[in-house]
Amino acid sequence: MAQRQQPLNRYALSRLPLWAGLAAFVAVIGLGLGSFIALLWQAPALQVAMLWQEPYLAGVLRFTFWQAGLSTLLALGLGIPVALALARRPRFPGRGLLLRAMELSLVIPSLIALFGLVAVHGRRGWAAPLWEWLTGSPSGYLYGLSGIVLAHVFYNLPLAARLMLQELERSPAVHWRLVAQLGLSRFAIWRTLEWPAIRRLLPRLAALIFTLCFTSFAIVMTLGGGPNSSTLEVALYQALKFDNDLALAALLALTQLVICLGLWSLAIAQGGAPSLIAGDSQAALFTKWRRRDAQGISWLTDGLSIGGLALLLLPPLAAVVLAGLSGLPDILTQPRLWPATLRSLVMALGAGIGAVLLALALLGGSGWLRARGRRFLGGVIEGSGQLILVLPALVMGTGLFLLLRPRLGGGFEGYALVVLVNAFMALPFAMQVLRGALLELPLAQRRVAEQLDIHGWPRFRWLLWPRLRRPLGLALAYAMTLSLGDFSVIALFGSPAAPTLPMLLYQELGGYRWQSAAATALVLLICVVAVFGLVSALTRRSPRYLWKRRPEPAHASM
Amino acid sequence: MPCINRFSQALALGIGLGLFASGATWAEDRTLTIYTYDSFVADWGPGPKVKEAFEKQCGDCTVNFLALQGGVDILQRLRLEGESTEADIVLGLDMNLMAEARALDLLVPHEADLTPLNLPIDWDDETFLPYDWGHFAFVYDSEALPNPPSSFAELLEAPEDLKVIISDPRTSVPGLGLLLWIKHLYGDEAGEAWQQLNRHVLTVASGWSQAYFSLFMNGEAPMVLSYSTSPAYHMAMEDTDRYQAAEFEEGHYLQVETAAITKAAEDPQLAREFMDFILTEDFQRHIPLGNVMYPAIDLGDELPEVFDRLIEPEGFTFSPEEVQENRRAWIREWLNASSR
Repeated sequence: MAQRQQPLNRYALSRLPLWAGLAAFVAVIGLGLGSFIALLWQAPALQVAMLWQEPYLAGVLRFTFWQAGLSTLLALGLGIPVALALARRPRFPGRGLLLRAMELSLVIPSLIALFGLVAVHGRRGWAAPLWEWLTGSPSGYLYGLSGIVLAHVFYNLPLAARLMLQELERSPAVHWRLVAQLGLSRFAIWRTLEWPAIRRLLPRLAALIFTLCFTSFAIVMTLGGGPNSSTLEVALYQALKFDNDLALAALLALTQLVICLGLWSLAIAQGGAPSLIAGDSQAALFTKWRRRDAQGISWLTDGLSIGGLALLLLPPLAAVVLAGLSGLPDILTQPRLWPATLRSLVMALGAGIGAVLLALALLGGSGWLRARGRRFLGGVIEGSGQLILVLPALVMGTGLFLLLRPRLGGGFEGYALVVLVNAFMALPFAMQVLRGALLELPLAQRRVAEQLDIHGWPRFRWLLWPRLRRPLGLALAYAMTLSLGDFSVIALFGSPAAPTLPMLLYQELGGYRWQSAAATALVLLICVVAVFGLVSALTRRSPRYLWKRRPEPAHASM
Repeated sequence: MPCINRFSQALALGIGLGLFASGATWAEDRTLTIYTYDSFVADWGPGPKVKEAFEKQCGDCTVNFLALQGGVDILQRLRLEGESTEADIVLGLDMNLMAEARALDLLVPHEADLTPLNLPIDWDDETFLPYDWGHFAFVYDSEALPNPPSSFAELLEAPEDLKVIISDPRTSVPGLGLLLWIKHLYGDEAGEAWQQLNRHVLTVASGWSQAYFSLFMNGEAPMVLSYSTSPAYHMAMEDTDRYQAAEFEEGHYLQVETAAITKAAEDPQLAREFMDFILTEDFQRHIPLGNVMYPAIDLGDELPEVFDRLIEPEGFTFSPEEVQENRRAWIREWLNASSR
């Protein structure tokens, strides 16, 4: 008996990833598509022709495309020289700090980013005198298309450059040694090493940035200047909240879904599966090799690229910090700030863990299927994680309401829902971080594990965990910080007597408490930085074996 | 830190009872659930003090606030929940949302005595009870703009370098207020008026917070669309006369915020008691500086001194039904006038 039980057990265990993946898939589709279908089901018939027959909607659609396309092009185009420069300069004072700031740019709440951008680039901003001196006319570039693009580049260029840098740094150390030994010129390096690495990344990166710009709302509206610059989300917001036009809302959400998912499937079909989130830096690996192209004129151009990035990214953040400092005395008289901070952190932790578990399950399931030749099914399971990226929070929230009513109160139910929805919203990002580590388990190791019959817990502990620890930490950090800054979901379900930090911020704004609001924004920013720093510090723990503490280049390149 | 305790209790309770069954235990004593907006229930807002005063008055009841983002969200929530709504009272629907809320057929008459009311317009609505009011107005920075326009016409004809920040009528309540204001003043010529105004518009913010905090407080433009009562806050709490509202000869669009009882109210008697309470001084004295609006009754000497220094323009409104009927068309008109 005992003998028979073991294989059965093992059989069940080896299928665990599949079941977990399927469960997560059902949950994601249930929540994501379910809420959307609830909206469709409540709505009267869709009039798809409205999209091009209605001039207003056609204009909105055109503009949404146009600004997102332009923002994507600029973020990618400017990101390339920045990434190349950062790769060429593996050490300079403040490089580490700059990289951290670049990783953070994705998760800065839009109200805070808006405040910082206005303080720096506005008509009375820090840069205004400089602009006036340069061009002779007063600065007004923050409003209109240029403002939207500036804001989107502020958000996405650091992200793009950081990921490209990561791809560059992933190239095997031998390649860089060869580059040094052969004394390749700048152009030759670009052609043989840099471009192929970046090229692999571009389709997915472009899809990601385009999606983020396509769905952006508050920034586009406020900096856009007027109704000429409305995005689909604005039309959706109006349809859903002011007009209660469920049919139009569903139609707009569907349009967004189709466009962005179409783009994603194009990008995924382009092949290449680089990780889209900054992971581990291996900069130390190629500092040893002196590159010929690092001297002479490139000293100047690299300085320009890196300096430009710093000037784009840091001053708005500094403006938020400065404004917050002036409100610090208010913090002491603000009894709700610390409970709000704690609440935000607890909820972020919940959402973060949820996102990571979901991501692991989806990736595990799709990996299991792929390993058995079911590539398409695996792709579907994995792709479901991206669904959330293109589903407007408002649609998800409203749909959930329709699904869960009649009972959906405030208080704990509300918070539980917020945590749940936040976990789902962070899922795409968590998956991006984890998929490299989980799917790229070297075949050789896998085979050895199969031969030695290592399954279940030992397999996880000795094969997966060492590779997963660090990406897990990063995924958790991203998911937590995204949830920390969330206002859209909490505003639907939250309870005001116990606000989270973003809610408190809006309450303070609504009550004209500018100083407290600035201080709250600073605390929120500090939380984001602290969570990021803490989680990555914890998972950066030195390896178990002392002799591995300083990896040799040959060792780490695997 | 009572907040943490309350939260962790709710957490424990919620876990104990399961996600969707927790509501039942609260119904033991008399509970009043009020949907409102978030700045109403902030620590410094009127909410906490109103709760305290009413609970003292009724003896054994509990007031629970559930705050949403604004009047529009309250309406939307009510619409989604229908007859199963948890709300006994909705507090925060303004006049422009009244007709749509009424059409849901979820509200019942308030039966409160309207005689104490002190509004700039007559009020005899049976369902909606006003609790505060104010005018939409352009607030200006007197250091940047010592001589603000004294009429809407003057604003429209001012030199183009006079910039204002407004909010979008598709997403914000003051934005809709401005739309109605201009429509009321200019009627069929509202489109042309918009085109003239647009020369002065620096940008159209998505909401009041973005307009006032991110833009106006950063000094981006000397004027911002807000409320005639906004300066009261600056004068009373920040001790500065720098920010004032520009008084326009033609008059200002009026905003009246109201409360109403829902059909679903578990304890209609208690809900009515609260409606009566709204028009007492115990409620109203928290409005001027808590909600930064005018109280709905005459507070006499209790009205903070700064309110005497606010502008006192003529006020006017469309009827809620007119707004409901025409809102989409008027927004369309604004879009057409502003998209070229």
